[in-house]
Amino acid sequence: MLGTYMTSDIEGRVNEVFQIVFDDLDLMVGRQTTAKDVEDWDSLTHINLIVAVEKEFKIRFTTAEVTNLKNVGELIDAILRKIG
Amino acid sequence: MEINLDYSRLLKEARAIRPAAGTPTLRIALLGDCALQQFLPLLRALFCRASFLAEIHEGGFDGTEFAALNPESALYRFEPDVIVLLNAVQCLRDKYYLRPGDASDFANETLSRMTRVWDSIRRHSSAQIIQSNFAAPIERIYGNYDLKVASSLPASVARLNLRISEEARSRSFVLVNDVEHLASWVGRKDWFDERFWTLAKSFCAPELLPLVAKNIVDIILSTRGRAVKCVILDLDNTLWGGIIGDDGPQGIQISAHGEGEEFHRLQCFLRELKNRGILLAVCSKNEHANAIAPFEQNPGMVLKLSDITVFVANWDNKAANIERIRQALNIGFDSMVFLDDNPFERNLVRDMLPEVIVPELPDDPSDYVKAISALNLFETSTRAAEDTQRTEFYRVEAQRQIAEATAASFEEFLQSLEMKIEVERFVPEQLSRIAQLLQRSNQFNLTTHRYTHAHCEAMMNDTEYCLPLSASLSDRFGDHGLIAIVVARPDVVAGSLEITDWLMSCRVLTRGVEEYLMNRIVEEAHRRGLGRVRGEFIPTSKNGMVKDFFARFGFEKAREDADGRTEWALETAAYTPRHVFLQRVGDISSIGA
Repeated sequence: MLGTYMTSDIEGRVNEVFQIVFDDLDLMVGRQTTAKDVEDWDSLTHINLIVAVEKEFKIRFTTAEVTNLKNVGELIDAILRKIG
Repeated sequence: MEINLDYSRLLKEARAIRPAAGTPTLRIALLGDCALQQFLPLLRALFCRASFLAEIHEGGFDGTEFAALNPESALYRFEPDVIVLLNAVQCLRDKYYLRPGDASDFANETLSRMTRVWDSIRRHSSAQIIQSNFAAPIERIYGNYDLKVASSLPASVARLNLRISEEARSRSFVLVNDVEHLASWVGRKDWFDERFWTLAKSFCAPELLPLVAKNIVDIILSTRGRAVKCVILDLDNTLWGGIIGDDGPQGIQISAHGEGEEFHRLQCFLRELKNRGILLAVCSKNEHANAIAPFEQNPGMVLKLSDITVFVANWDNKAANIERIRQALNIGFDSMVFLDDNPFERNLVRDMLPEVIVPELPDDPSDYVKAISALNLFETSTRAAEDTQRTEFYRVEAQRQIAEATAASFEEFLQSLEMKIEVERFVPEQLSRIAQLLQRSNQFNLTTHRYTHAHCEAMMNDTEYCLPLSASLSDRFGDHGLIAIVVARPDVVAGSLEITDWLMSCRVLTRGVEEYLMNRIVEEAHRRGLGRVRGEFIPTSKNGMVKDFFARFGFEKAREDADGRTEWALETAAYTPRHVFLQRVGDISSIGA
């Protein structure tokens, strides 16, 4: 289950990053989405995802943030903290 | 020319790879003490751009020694063409920190473990080894004084890099992947991303992994026929500052100090390339007399007329002139680089001759060499004594063409050349040149097997089952050097001599060399009591000129595959030796087993 679909600008941009990283233009992620919900979301693509998010928002996560993100919602919160 | 090395773009390209039937395959084993998986899509995508299909074996994490030292390992079962060894300085740093004693022997011990891996691979495989060196570490314990402390980490890494180069020089089967160059080029504070080392053992910052992959691919492609053989130069505001037609030979800017120093530096760089064996040609919109004047009259010029193999100055369009240069040199468009300050000319050549490599040059001539260097256009995997003579070979060839034009008949011309040919089994002194010809020849090449130096050595030593021959040609104008390779294998059971490889330098076509060699091959089959000679043709995108090679000599087509491969057979009794104007040097028995 993907939970609530994203609507805000940030959430939309995050979703686009997911679509590019996982090469799936139909992919829709929500705050509750975890790695288990997305095909090919493994430790390698996780790094690709972090690199792509950092580039999109011109931010830099700490090692702990990269490790501890539990779902897309936490990713969005982390982005908001950095650009806010 | 733009090389897109965007990380996510390459990942996307890798997902979209759909190889066409018949795409040549490269078997690459990747071993290292860092995350290797990340490299797979990048290597696949870059090889796909070069029209190769990469089959990649991924070694276990930090499993290089285990795989290399065990003859039964999955590495050797994979039968790789190339073994890529990646060693991260981050991993070296861990070992340095956790060393049991003092660090005075750290570099030497690390090096001997590396050379042991190389030499073990050499015993169990003919694969080419590509060994990375180390990015200089970012840690400083003593500050600048680190370099005065031989056992410090920075001093150890510097020494290790030097020793890797030295040990590789004495082993033709080891090529160096200069990671330190890449890291310095980018800047080490950006190169290292310690987060991703901690989390995933990423070799460097992930966005920079494509640079490492490109370096590896450049090296491998240089062992597979990709080579820049000629640099074509514009003159005004490319090779010197100013316009020769307006400023005159003394008015242009070209001098070692002061005005035109940046052009002087470019010319020095080009002269180094020429000394290395890369041909220089001029393609300029000018009156010919004006264009050559600075070469003859301006003492500031580094390049002399004798450094230029083909000089074309006229008012025709540059694409037509580059085609003339290509014909004169008999090389492929994809082995030519065109340098011109004028964006109009660059775009015209890109449009009309898309295979020619046309680097984008910056507005400021001071940055030309940097822009050219960034592209790594001149990668090579071999170096032979003949390289330095290459410009001379072509210059002498021009004299032959004049002789040909003035001779009463082609036969008379061939006779007047007084050609001498020496055919012999591969010998150790020639192996570098032999491996180079095998790696560079694309057009006159019947099967395009890209043997490594190690393969050539194995064939040389296999006196029972392999007849690996090289031919060297000279004539009254000068020496051509080693210009042809034929590998044949006697099959006593089938009663035939099998030609597995036949390739020649395009410098010596239509001289009768191939006729002479075929005479010798048939003679050799006779001598061994073999009643038949068989051969194979494997088509590539470049060797169309030899599609009918065997038919020319009266071979019958025995087989044709859907992919265009053909097999041919000739009854030796039915062969009439071809008339040639070549005089044999050396003894016939020199090639026999």
